[in-house]
Amino acid sequence: MAEVRRKSGKPLQVNPHKLSQPMGATLAFLGVDRCMPLMHGAQGCASFTKVMFTRHFCEPIALQTTAVNDVIAVLDGGDYSIVESIKNIRDKLIPELIGLYTTGLTETKGDDIRGVASKIDVPLVYVNTPDFKGGLESGWTLTTQALIDQLTAPGDRIDAQKLVLVPHVSMQPIEVEKLRELIEAFGFKVVAVPDLSSSLDNHLGEKQASLSSGGVTVAELEQLADAAFVITVGASVKPVGATLQAKNPAIQHRHFNHVSGLVGTDELVAWLLEVSGRDTLPAVVERWRKRLQDAMLDSHFSIGQTRFLLVAEPDHLAAMAASLREVGGKVTLAIATVDSPILTDIEADQVIVGDLEDAENMRDAYDMIIGNFHTEALAHRLEKKAVMRGFPNYEEIGGALKHDVLYEGGAYFLFEIANAAERMREAQVHREREQIKRQRIA
Amino acid sequence: MDFDQCLSDSVPTLYEGNLSLVSSKPNIKELLVESACEHNKDKKGSCNAPKPGATTGGCALDGAQIALFPFADAAHLVHGPMSCVGGAWETRLTPTSWSGRDLTQTGFATDINNNDVVFGGEKKLAAAINHIVANYAPEAVFVYSTCVPAMTGDDIDAVCKQMSEKHGTPCVPVHAPGFVGAKNLGSRIAGEAVLRHLIGTKEPEYTTPFDINLIGEHNNTGELWRYRHLLEELGIRVLSTFSGDGRISEIRTAHRAKLNVIVCAKSLVSMTRKMQEQYGIPWISCSFYGKTDTSASILAIAEALGDADLIERTRALIAREEARLEEQLMPYRAIFAGKKAVLNTGGNKAWSIASALQDLGIEVVATSVRKSTEADKAKAREYLGENAILMTEPASQQAKVIDDTGAHLLLAGGRSLYTAIKKRIAFTDVNQEKKKSYGGYDGLLVLAEDLKNSLQNPVFELVERKAPWQK
Ligand code: SF4
Repeated sequence: MAEVRRKSGKPLQVNPHKLSQPMGATLAFLGVDRCMPLMHGAQGCASFTKVMFTRHFCEPIALQTTAVNDVIAVLDGGDYSIVESIKNIRDKLIPELIGLYTTGLTETKGDDIRGVASKIDVPLVYVNTPDFKGGLESGWTLTTQALIDQLTAPGDRIDAQKLVLVPHVSMQPIEVEKLRELIEAFGFKVVAVPDLSSSLDNHLGEKQASLSSGGVTVAELEQLADAAFVITVGASVKPVGATLQAKNPAIQHRHFNHVSGLVGTDELVAWLLEVSGRDTLPAVVERWRKRLQDAMLDSHFSIGQTRFLLVAEPDHLAAMAASLREVGGKVTLAIATVDSPILTDIEADQVIVGDLEDAENMRDAYDMIIGNFHTEALAHRLEKKAVMRGFPNYEEIGGALKHDVLYEGGAYFLFEIANAAERMREAQVHREREQIKRQRIA
Repeated sequence: MDFDQCLSDSVPTLYEGNLSLVSSKPNIKELLVESACEHNKDKKGSCNAPKPGATTGGCALDGAQIALFPFADAAHLVHGPMSCVGGAWETRLTPTSWSGRDLTQTGFATDINNNDVVFGGEKKLAAAINHIVANYAPEAVFVYSTCVPAMTGDDIDAVCKQMSEKHGTPCVPVHAPGFVGAKNLGSRIAGEAVLRHLIGTKEPEYTTPFDINLIGEHNNTGELWRYRHLLEELGIRVLSTFSGDGRISEIRTAHRAKLNVIVCAKSLVSMTRKMQEQYGIPWISCSFYGKTDTSASILAIAEALGDADLIERTRALIAREEARLEEQLMPYRAIFAGKKAVLNTGGNKAWSIASALQDLGIEVVATSVRKSTEADKAKAREYLGENAILMTEPASQQAKVIDDTGAHLLLAGGRSLYTAIKKRIAFTDVNQEKKKSYGGYDGLLVLAEDLKNSLQNPVFELVERKAPWQK
């Protein structure tokens, strides 16, 4: 069990990796088909968020702002700017859903978005996501809860084949798709909420979309309550299970902290076998399990001698640490963006809520870094190696198709990390040789 | 050159509200009425107020940071939550020759929480400044206000004053919370803050008759370095820059310059105008995009400095550089001969990039004048000639324009990529310049290489091909 430090104790963040609640809400709304996320605040928050996700995904991002200015900030309780925004959006296109969410400014003002929303008769879901609380994970979860809470019709009938899948925010689009396919292979119909696997998965669309294109549909959201099961993946989305159960208490909730590595995937597959009433695995699942086993053996030597720093959202840390631990990787330090109940369960020597300045100060604790693109510069300063994971990644393209989970992704993940660790050590050997040569000459 | 700052579509938004919200110094109303905003002539003050639900572009904070970030020897502390900084730090190259730690690429934020909102964030801010001064020894600390602390009324001025005295390091309050307006206004506010708190606080070791300040040159992709050496070769000294590859110690001496050169940044006209009033420094406006503009700008600087010998040497240098460039461009001439381009980009890029393309021998058959000022439109017409199409609604027009003109190349922002693919013509993302510099004489070679690669890339033909089984 990890030693956990939940508070940074510093008056500021230096080289932060934390992201805000409205950013998490944005992503969640982008996982709803033909949705227009509408951030209620001054224009900058939406702009920064849009630029960040556009660069991260290399995709156009649908996002609007209520563009609160100083006059509105003082005089308006949200009615004017929200109503005007919706009118202006609908002048150009008709979204299936408007996702309205607050920022620090409009929360400080005390706007009653629930009240405003009740007066608006277009499809709309609202959620309070001040950015002086929580972070990316909580913004995603609160929004997912709001989608279900405000859209899903209560029911008492159950479709034994239907399953609702709730992934945590750090699961990449391809990972959600692979997880869905795995569950479908056991005969279930799966609805992912939210679903980035068909909206931000780097597909060539018909034309430049101004709304999110792909994702869970509003109709599907309305009819979630007849699902036999809801599975939540990641501690941050665990509460969503209860939100759905409130619509139909007959729904069974199964929670997984992650679906990474051999043990994590086994747990999921065992459960799927049990609830599907099958006694054999689909052949392809069986095959991938064997490949992962082989990958574990092939990678254990390299990863087993490496000390890792992980920098990520709490649920993402838990998932990556589990995979690495299975092959002897020493996660000596894990730095989380925010506090979370999962921190104590992360398989690392030390887990802290902190920033990259903390990482720099503790440089002797690790050899290799896995984290967002900011860790690239960190690695460069410290003469270490970084592998890019998490938001945002401006350095690399194709992040949406990076698959690290389940048997299959687990194998890819181990290969990539082991190869990077080997290259890092080779570079060190070269450096040392050069040094010796230079000393000889001198 | 920072073209973000040049876009005339980000002319300031209305700020006529409760000034007390922005606790202090710059008189924002006054900044807004500044004549640099051409729309102001007819619509008193209220040009381009952000339209709810139909607004794009960054806030004042964004603009202020873009303007000041290139000071790599100063810390940039955002007093706000992670929305204001989380995805925004370390997003620009902004190279520097500063030998100390590059603070441009170091993110600082107070990450205000619930507690700070309820009880005020001043103590936290002061402690944050202490931390920065103790651990990073910056030449100055820029403290950026943001929406929430501006609403709750944190007295950033008082904290900065106190901390400046305590540490002997200038702590400069930058009052650019996003709700006061768009990027351009933020850029002006940044200029105002530097003028008020830094410029004139130090004397240069020596002066020369040819000392200039480069205002609005952010060196975002190293474009300053494409022409600075030419100025120096002529004996023109860049006394300070605002703020590409800038130094705090230099900007503090900026009041001793003989000339302010605004590099493609209308938003900073107010700053240079005030410097003219306060210190008697004249100013000119320049662009270093393409051969024609680069030559014209270097000559304009020499002429403004008014030394006959200097002007003569400048002409010789220009002739030499143009001849050298011409030779290096030779291999491209054949590739570009007869090629037509459609340009869809904002503000003064509409003509500055057009000019660069023409330097390369490419015919610019259409350009966008959406949201351009009258002056930009006139200039575009002048550069492109009578027959060119000035598109007012480029998003819907450009496909037809490509058909009508038989253009071979579309230069636009990423959103237009699909048009190019549909029309199966080459595409170049004009925002590439955020990664590499097209400035100065040598930048033209870089642009030429990129355009050549686009024109010769089969991807635009291939990507939308029908699969063999599709009818
Ligand atoms: S609009 Fe306000 S809260 Fe949003 S990023 Fe700009 S300064 Fe920060």
